Amino acid sequence: MRFATQTAAKARRARRSEPVILFTVSNETFAIAADAVQEIRSTDSLAGAALEFEQSDVPKVRHAIERAHRTYYVVNAGMHFGLDVTRPTLVLMLRQLRTAVLVDGIERMAEISALHPLPRAFIGDERNWYRGLAYLDDLVIPVIRPAGFLTTEEFERLDQAWKTAEEQREGAFSA
Amino acid sequence: MTSLQNRGPNSYVLLQVGKRRFALPADTVEELAPPVRLHGFPHRSPLVVGVIVRRGHIVPVYDVGPVLLGESSPAHRFYLVARRMFGRVSEPSAIPVSGECELASCEMQAPQAGRPGYVAGRIEVGDESLDVLNLETLVTSPAATNQSFETAAWEAQP
Repeated sequence: MRFATQTAAKARRARRSEPVILFTVSNETFAIAADAVQEIRSTDSLAGAALEFEQSDVPKVRHAIERAHRTYYVVNAGMHFGLDVTRPTLVLMLRQLRTAVLVDGIERMAEISALHPLPRAFIGDERNWYRGLAYLDDLVIPVIRPAGFLTTEEFERLDQAWKTAEEQREGAFSA
Repeated sequence: MTSLQNRGPNSYVLLQVGKRRFALPADTVEELAPPVRLHGFPHRSPLVVGVIVRRGHIVPVYDVGPVLLGESSPAHRFYLVARRMFGRVSEPSAIPVSGECELASCEMQAPQAGRPGYVAGRIEVGDESLDVLNLETLVTSPAATNQSFETAAWEAQP
């Protein structure tokens, strides 16, 4: 027979901490799971690789990057979160998603031991933006939902716009 | 008032928002919290200005000033933590209040004609007639949903 308190204590001990990357956008701090990020690059290093949309149906996306036969759409995190537009210096290339995110800087790596659900009082887009909230060093920090940067519908619109842009580029080359 | 012992079925917590006083049914109120740090982050929820941390819980903070006063709540001294129902689930929610709260026992009367939907009734305390608020209706009223969802720039004033 096991006492409930023993089981609960064991569960608490077994709870794993999660490594996260703390990054900043327009003086706001966010956390993203470290294993959701494939690569962090400076915006300068992508200057030649990023192609600009002449016209984007999704205003927060103005560039795309072709890598390993995949098109990554570059989301301006400031515009995504409705913050003041700044001059981003880094790009987070996300894992398993065709999304790259422009951010102002990386603060540090950290470990979170608990992810608090977003209170039900929050009823807006933030329910898609965040997996939950972390309480870290006396700060409440939203933990990003990587898939929340672009919806399926936004991907479809961007894919269509990208296809059209490619056809125009090919037409221009052949002419 | 930091705890709510001795509250009965006709008990109300009297709170001050700006220069006006209102009442909340005492059975919905958890505590009067000190002016702890308000944490803000981007969101698009009307009236919510951030969260505070109380007893290990993350509690959303509503600035009800725009609905009750027509402007953001002025400097406040405490957070009144009350429970808000979401279906069968309840969650604590905090309202910044300007001063100490009192506990009063009295019968609630029907609201006066023409009062907004978030006024559940009125109570007479001394020579004052106070609106009893329905927190749920207050934070979901059309006046609330028309509010800007920017994170407020204010902090608790000790």
